[in-house]
Amino acid sequence: MTGSDPAPYRQAMLDEWYPVGLVSQLDRAGRHTALMGEPIVVAGDADGRPIVTGGNGRILPVKVRYGHVWSSVGAPTKDIFPIPEADQPGRRFVDVGVVRVRCSPLRAVENFLDIAHFPFVHTDVLGAEPHTEVLNYTAEIRPDVDEVWATQVKFYQPQASKSASGGITTEYMYRVPAPTCSVLYKTCPPRPSEWDVITLFVQPLAEDRCDVWPWMALFDDETSMTDLIHFQQMIFLQDRSILENQIPRLLPLDPGMEIPTRADLTSIAYRRWLKRHNFTYGAQLVAR
Amino acid sequence: MRSDTTGFWTPVALSADIPSRTVIPAHVSAGTIALWRSQAGQIAASADRCPHRGMSLSHGFVRGEALSCIYHGWSYGMSGHCVRIPAHPGLTPPETIRVATHAVRDAGGVVWVAEGTPASDPPSLDGLTPLRSLTIEADRAAIEAAAGVPANADGLIEITRDGEDLCLLLSGSQQSQTGVRTVVHVLVATGSHAPQRIAASRNVERLRRMAETASANGNVQ
Amino acid sequence: MKLYDYILSPSCYKVRLMAALAGATLDLRAVDFHPGGEHRGPELLSLNPGGSIPILVDGDLILTESAAILVYLAAKAAPEWLGRASAEDAAREQQWLSFSGRLTTSLGGARLHEMLLRPGDLAALQAAGIAALRELEAGLVEQRLRGRNFLVSDRPTVADIACFPYVALAPDGGVSLDPYPAIRLWSRALRALPGFIEMPGIHRLHELKPEPNLEQSEV
Repeated sequence: MTGSDPAPYRQAMLDEWYPVGLVSQLDRAGRHTALMGEPIVVAGDADGRPIVTGGNGRILPVKVRYGHVWSSVGAPTKDIFPIPEADQPGRRFVDVGVVRVRCSPLRAVENFLDIAHFPFVHTDVLGAEPHTEVLNYTAEIRPDVDEVWATQVKFYQPQASKSASGGITTEYMYRVPAPTCSVLYKTCPPRPSEWDVITLFVQPLAEDRCDVWPWMALFDDETSMTDLIHFQQMIFLQDRSILENQIPRLLPLDPGMEIPTRADLTSIAYRRWLKRHNFTYGAQLVAR
Repeated sequence: MRSDTTGFWTPVALSADIPSRTVIPAHVSAGTIALWRSQAGQIAASADRCPHRGMSLSHGFVRGEALSCIYHGWSYGMSGHCVRIPAHPGLTPPETIRVATHAVRDAGGVVWVAEGTPASDPPSLDGLTPLRSLTIEADRAAIEAAAGVPANADGLIEITRDGEDLCLLLSGSQQSQTGVRTVVHVLVATGSHAPQRIAASRNVERLRRMAETASANGNVQ
Repeated sequence: MKLYDYILSPSCYKVRLMAALAGATLDLRAVDFHPGGEHRGPELLSLNPGGSIPILVDGDLILTESAAILVYLAAKAAPEWLGRASAEDAAREQQWLSFSGRLTTSLGGARLHEMLLRPGDLAALQAAGIAALRELEAGLVEQRLRGRNFLVSDRPTVADIACFPYVALAPDGGVSLDPYPAIRLWSRALRALPGFIEMPGIHRLHELKPEPNLEQSEV
């Protein structure tokens, strides 16, 4: 099947795992969706186990992790990336639900890695003028785990989370363990020694269309589950109109197409990592 | 308006529809541009794409004499040069960061954008007052057919029938997802009163229905 | 007054916006509309068998139509938001309040389909939405020619609040607002009102704030 793929540049990303549905919403009728251009159906069998069926009726690989069903149109050789915090007692796991966006799955991830837009897009929540400066931080491709990491990212936030009662300088760490997935570690005010975990799992429907599945593992015993879901949906929906109006819709990997600054170090590392692995489904390689 | 071979002025919007401190998208033959008016009232036109992350600048905002991108607040002056990057408050942006600009004129209540290098001024609209702009999902020929008269050399269609006086100023047509669309500016006689203007607005709605129906039925070549 | 609310619902936002503009206080009860489908659960169906939100509960009164909720809030807290100076104004207000239902069905349906994957005939919803936007544009042009900047009079009323959210969020459903200059000016006038609040998808008008004097390394 993969050998006859008409677009060989997709190959490198074919064998990756992608989120395709919420475990909590599996049903017999199934979710009719797509993965990298191929129509798929994500259903639960009589015992509630997920079954993912591809375009010509072939059964696709399937895993259940982090509240989601994961699948692949290729033949994954690795397991899904680990999130050790997902096994930590005392955390609450939040299925935020799906939001569709007309943009490249890679643009959706890159926006998640960006902090400089907070004052303009998430005004009075994740950022506010005049606190617009992005202080120096570190971004790297870690060779031991082959992941993009950004650390010591600090930003002033008027309302960093649903439970926040005033402005604080929040510290972030970002991690990209898979081409369309990112994990954010964020200051956790109730437990200063721990990090809250907020993820963005992106299902590539096509090169210019994706379903985004945010998920969280938080230390917060006070806020209701619905309020936690709504806070994250609010944040992502503020981003959606940006993502749908970037030109081109695909992520440009040609360095001449866009101008990064020091504030964009995470994005620069992410683009470099994508190129290195030929993860170019949803990318534009040459300016046109 | 095709007034010579080296360039022409395209009427993209009515002056009244771009007050100070606003930005709107406008269409020229090369594509979409960001048309904006500064706090002091100066009109300007630039490429509709921030070179930082590709965000459409017509979604941005105008403060003082600069246009800012809604995504990260990068600001561009009238000349197209980047004047501010909020993530780096101490940095003077390098000269190389800029957006392409277009020559623009605000004349006769209409905003005109230069395509190429026009040798003359935009056509005069003496005796006419702009009423409204609207978009018709049809090409110029379908609109002329619905109006019953062809456009003159300035792109004006003058309709005088049943006591109604109506002038249509056609912008260039663009391809859209559904076919061809044309932006039309409606002008009425200066000195006409509100009831006549409301009637003119309704008449042009009717004309749009005729042009679009004919266009959808393939009655116009 | 208790509002059963969802942050991403334009109809719930109408109520929050009206309350903010009228200076009324709401007790918000978040409803897990997506992904939970709580509006179709037993607790909410017993309040509103129609299975929709917003729901406003004030003592014995239960309101489930957003237009009615707007009228109630305005009548109680800010009667100047009711456009009832003349028979004509009252009729115009009712005309646009009813019209707002068409925006919900068409533009709102396209948005739910494109954003939250609800079923629907996208092309038909978008076409109906465009037809409604054209009517609104023509209505606003005529009002401006009468010297009035809003749908009913020269000040905003509940009719404007009823129509604004689904119009402003039309691009969420793949319907462009580029062809409507009168709608753009009207929308901007509403967004610039004192006390205006946003919802996700409607950005802050940053031009209303002066350019801050930025200093380096302020954090």
